[in-house]
Amino acid sequence: MDVRKALLTAAGAGQRTLPLQTIVAGDGRVRTVLRVLLDEVLEAGIEEVAVVVRPGDEPAFVAAAADAASRLHFVPQPEPLGYAHAVHCATDALGGVPFLHLVGDHLFVRAGASGDARELCGMAQRAAACVSAVQPTREHELVRFGAVGGRRVPGEERLYEVQRVLEKPTPTQAEQELHVPGLRAGHYLCFFGMHVWTPSVMDALDARFRSGDPRAVVLSDVLDEVARRERYLALEMRGRRYDLGDRYGLLAAQLAIGLRGRDRERVLDTVLDVLMQRERTRLEGAEPSGDA
Amino acid sequence: MGSRFSEVLTATDPRVRDTSLAELCAPLGVADLLAACDELDAFRARAGNLYERVRATLFLAAIHGYELPRLPELPRAGRLSFTGYEQLLARRYEEAIATFSADLRCAGPSDTTCSALAAAYRGRAFQMLADQVRRSVRSARGNQWMFRVGHPAELPLRIRPELVARGTADAPFPILRERTPVRLDLTHSAWSDIFFLGMDFPEGARVINVSVDLGVRGRDARPEPPIETCLRVIDEPLLRLCSVDLEANVDLHRVAQVFEFARDYLGLLRAGVIAAGLVPPGLEGSGAALAPLLERLCGPGRGLELVTRVRDIPKGSRLAVSTNLLASIIAVCMRATGQTRNLEGPLAEGERRVVASRAILGEWLGGSGGGWQDSGGVWPGLKCIEGRLAQPGDPEFGISRGRLLPDHRILAAPELPDAMLELLQQSLVPLHGGMAQDVGPVLDMVTERYLLRDADAWQGRLRAGEIYDEILAALRAGDLRRLAALTTENFSGPLRAIVPWATNRFTERLIERVRARFGERWLGFCMLGGMAGGGMGMFLDPAEPPSARDALLELLLATKREHERGTPFAMDPVVYDFAIDRDGSAARLATGDDARMAPGYYALVVPDLLRQRAGQLGPARRRELERLGEPGWSGDELRGFLPALFERMLPSRQEARRGDVRSLRELLDLGGFDAELHERIRADLRAGRIGLAQNRLPATTTIEDVRPEDVVLADGELPATWHARGRAALANGEVAVVTLAGGAASRWTRGAGIAKALSPFCRFAGQHRTFLEVHVAKTRRVADELGVAIPHVVTTSLFTHDAIAAHVEETDSFGYRGPLLLSPGRAVGLRMVPTVRDLVFLYEERARQLLDEQAQKVRESLQSALIDWARSAGEGADYVDNLPLQCLHPVGHWFEIPNLLRNGVLADLFDRQPRLRYLLIHNIDTVGADLDPARLGLHVERGAGLTFEVIPRRIDDVGGGLARVDGRPRLLEGLAMPDDETEFRLSHYNTGTTWVDVQRLLEVFGLAREDLRDAVSVGEAVRRLAARVPTYVTVKDVKRRWGRGQEDVFPVAQFEKLWGDMTLLPEFDVQYHVVPRRRGQQLKEPAQLDAFVRDGSAAFIESLCRFA
Repeated sequence: MDVRKALLTAAGAGQRTLPLQTIVAGDGRVRTVLRVLLDEVLEAGIEEVAVVVRPGDEPAFVAAAADAASRLHFVPQPEPLGYAHAVHCATDALGGVPFLHLVGDHLFVRAGASGDARELCGMAQRAAACVSAVQPTREHELVRFGAVGGRRVPGEERLYEVQRVLEKPTPTQAEQELHVPGLRAGHYLCFFGMHVWTPSVMDALDARFRSGDPRAVVLSDVLDEVARRERYLALEMRGRRYDLGDRYGLLAAQLAIGLRGRDRERVLDTVLDVLMQRERTRLEGAEPSGDA
Repeated sequence: MGSRFSEVLTATDPRVRDTSLAELCAPLGVADLLAACDELDAFRARAGNLYERVRATLFLAAIHGYELPRLPELPRAGRLSFTGYEQLLARRYEEAIATFSADLRCAGPSDTTCSALAAAYRGRAFQMLADQVRRSVRSARGNQWMFRVGHPAELPLRIRPELVARGTADAPFPILRERTPVRLDLTHSAWSDIFFLGMDFPEGARVINVSVDLGVRGRDARPEPPIETCLRVIDEPLLRLCSVDLEANVDLHRVAQVFEFARDYLGLLRAGVIAAGLVPPGLEGSGAALAPLLERLCGPGRGLELVTRVRDIPKGSRLAVSTNLLASIIAVCMRATGQTRNLEGPLAEGERRVVASRAILGEWLGGSGGGWQDSGGVWPGLKCIEGRLAQPGDPEFGISRGRLLPDHRILAAPELPDAMLELLQQSLVPLHGGMAQDVGPVLDMVTERYLLRDADAWQGRLRAGEIYDEILAALRAGDLRRLAALTTENFSGPLRAIVPWATNRFTERLIERVRARFGERWLGFCMLGGMAGGGMGMFLDPAEPPSARDALLELLLATKREHERGTPFAMDPVVYDFAIDRDGSAARLATGDDARMAPGYYALVVPDLLRQRAGQLGPARRRELERLGEPGWSGDELRGFLPALFERMLPSRQEARRGDVRSLRELLDLGGFDAELHERIRADLRAGRIGLAQNRLPATTTIEDVRPEDVVLADGELPATWHARGRAALANGEVAVVTLAGGAASRWTRGAGIAKALSPFCRFAGQHRTFLEVHVAKTRRVADELGVAIPHVVTTSLFTHDAIAAHVEETDSFGYRGPLLLSPGRAVGLRMVPTVRDLVFLYEERARQLLDEQAQKVRESLQSALIDWARSAGEGADYVDNLPLQCLHPVGHWFEIPNLLRNGVLADLFDRQPRLRYLLIHNIDTVGADLDPARLGLHVERGAGLTFEVIPRRIDDVGGGLARVDGRPRLLEGLAMPDDETEFRLSHYNTGTTWVDVQRLLEVFGLAREDLRDAVSVGEAVRRLAARVPTYVTVKDVKRRWGRGQEDVFPVAQFEKLWGDMTLLPEFDVQYHVVPRRRGQQLKEPAQLDAFVRDGSAAFIESLCRFA
């Protein structure tokens, strides 16, 4: 199974401008989030990237992609009908082949030299199956993610057979349905924001859109269906994902990238300086107010 | 272990496994049994299987508690280790076992030490079982996370968006309303729904459980789900809890407040909120405010309001109202936070199971308990609930044979014909007999008998299992008559064989009357829940008109009236109309103008809102008040609103209370209340001159155990000469019996205020008999044997006189032909609000049994609330906030003897029986005391003024003893012990039974026979002697009843003088005779009854009686 295409969703109401933000990448260069994501994707051997955007956003994305713009193929989402709908919009663009999917509002900070997308694609190609990147996540964060339940693949340290997929489950549901033997108590495998999907995912999605209200279609339900029908794997990533849509999400991502990159010392100095200034002010008796 | 004990404990063959302990022990002597105990102790230490360990531990408890004491060669008297006792109270059972075992090895076996070991092993066995249930509940999938949440920021739940959606900012938030039926157990499969039984013997754990809607006959138009729970978001950052039926509401601001289960009447709501995960149990003790938690849950500045309403189903209905209320609360909270798939409608099967397991968790948190079928109302219709063997993956696997939670299978057409459901609805009449009971001891007895495999109980259990199958078959066949016959057989056969205490005279008489009234049209009886007397069911011919139910109610009321003098009733009986609920617990979201709270809510909360200034109300509250005045708001929610509003806002109820106080005054006058003495006691109490701490003798007092020469051993065969001497005195008309019957059953009923003498406590000669009837029957036997008339005097008090007098008249003195005289009490006290000092002393200084971890938290929370109550009600103030009789107290049994002098009864006795010389005085609950001629002969022979009968102490005998005080033997009351440890140095316990030489008694009072008709001389003599006898302050429990069968228990201060203190008087020649336990045992609590039957005491008592 070859993975040469990718899908990036960036049309959501709260997320469409996030890929256009600029950050300082690990090598010290100022780049847009989109460009950083494209680096991740291209390193994995992807040749063409479908980007789902709100109609009219294309020029900004072209600019943000800079020299990688030629790899982009824009898919407009005419109405904001949700995440599943955004993915469904790209059906034709993806052309019935396996593809890598990244959400546009996440940044991925790798743990080693190799990128997470590259590792994920490699695993999907070897297994010839859908593979979702996952990360063990504490239960109080479940309200933010889709999560999977299953069993570890024998002989594989970080690979799981997915049996259930639930969208933002409560811990009550998670404990009953997403139990993964071997995982720490109170931790679940939550989506990392990166998947390799086979055409069967798009088929199942399409079937749902044909049969019901598009607003009611939840992508996790589709994946759950796929997991019941065919082999579906989850790969536990070593890197970290940062949700830029979170409060201080961009700042956290920037700090994580900065502390791993060329300017590590400088970033540390800056953080320490902020802390010292705050402490000095406190000792001098003028505690800054919360919104200062 | 190579003995038969290990074989039985580890056997897989049921024929061996189900061998009874009694059969195993029958051929063994003391040495063999002690060797078996050593082996069992070693076995339980190494056994891996929980139930083998528990059963071995209960074997040990029973061998020490029943089998060894049964053997005459076991020495009686021994010493108790106070260290071991303290360990027992602190629930450190293993340490207590080690301490008492060391005592046994060191001093040799004795009845005393065996009783201590029995208590320790029994406590340990039940502790192991409770721990296992708790572990299973906590480790159930879906519940574990709640124990991991340690900070509000970790709360993983969010309110569903539908609950915060509203058109405009001042529109009301939607209300999620859950309506839940209660459950009725049609089969009563021998208490097989006790968790421990289901987890050990899942094959036998089976019930058919019906979800029912109810309406009180004559009040409600139609049956409806009795439980309603409403939840809504509010625009204040707090948790508001409100119970419409309990008329209580509270705003909670801190996490710690949510865990104060006994702070008010809202403990169940608190437990529900916690068990649903809204305030997860892991947060207990975090010290956090609720606002951040609620912000995470439902947004900044917002909170939640939870309102419950139970449609006046009285407590004790045996319909699992509280468990289903808990389940309803949990269900609505789970729905609101996305823990169920659907916000509205019925629950899915998996969700019902989570709700059920959390209801168990909630009950544990709230310190209460229920069975595994109790949340059956969450499921629809009829269902078979059956235990299941634990499988790999279950938390119970490898620990217990069965799972904690059973399986539910809904019975529906075609398996169950619809016509049968209709017949059932037309025939079965659920009712509430009105009795107030504590089923806890019954459930412990069931568990114990099951694990010991008592032969009768085990056969009963097996038969109950067969009856279950037959009931199921009758349901499937649509055979109502067969069904009713089977439930009746179940009650009269297996259930009574397993626990005789499941029934009572009231229930049996009721069945007789209903059967007589309806004849063939009465189809059967159905016992509900732990015991009969509260919730029950009668099957009538479906063709009976509705008026038959009214006739049933009349029979209930008449039977209650007949029994209420000696049986604790919380309320008048009730008959229900019922319907089978086809949905189970179901919810509906009300939005916009439909978003109205449960009926009764507004009448409860509006008065407080109106008392606030408009500016203090939040916008939503203001808007809610405005809406009350709008047209269209006149439905159920506002039914009775205006009268209730005025009732709350105007002090009409206080006027009514004043009326009660006036009748209290009348009673005080009638009872000989001494106002001057009362004021003096109040002043002393408030000033700290008297109190619980001041009851105690100075620490410098030398208190030792008595020496052998201080007592006469009379616990074996007594010489024929004494016997002849006693017979001669009896035949000569020298003896009368005095039964002290002034007591209002404070401990027997926890303050229900009935005449204990009239409590039909146990079956003798085929029927339930009262204490008084038993005492008279013993006198009759002796009188008949000797052919003489022996006077039997019954002392009464203001609390018991009318009831006893009426009962004696109705029963024609129990058919006794000798004189049966009543001696009315002449002294009464007015209870007071206790001082905080005494409450703290009681709760903190005195050695008290520690409860299970969660129950102890609840108790501490309650104690703290009661201390607040005492402070706010006024320490030492008159206690008047109750029924008048409940505000009064008897002033101790010391007065009951002087009353014989004051009220002329002794003078009458002399008139009737001029040769009268001896009195046998005994407490109402010392049921073994009788006119044993040999004991009388011994008393006569030794020429004592007073002879007190004592028994070798057992662990339960707490509250005094026979001691050498500063070198002189006397009876020392528990209240006077300088510390808790002293009592444990005393090897004999007072039975309360006294032989009195009347002439010497009169001399001590300074009176002659001729003076007895001179009221002034007698009064002075009594006052003179009373001043020489100590007065003790005590704190007793008193029940205050309200609502529909609800009861509160309050501590009240009172004073008393005790008969045993006559041994203080140096002019009396007092002797102490050691008698066998079965003669001297006092029955203070119903929980003692099982042992009373099991150890042969009941049979012994029956042999002493001759009933009319």
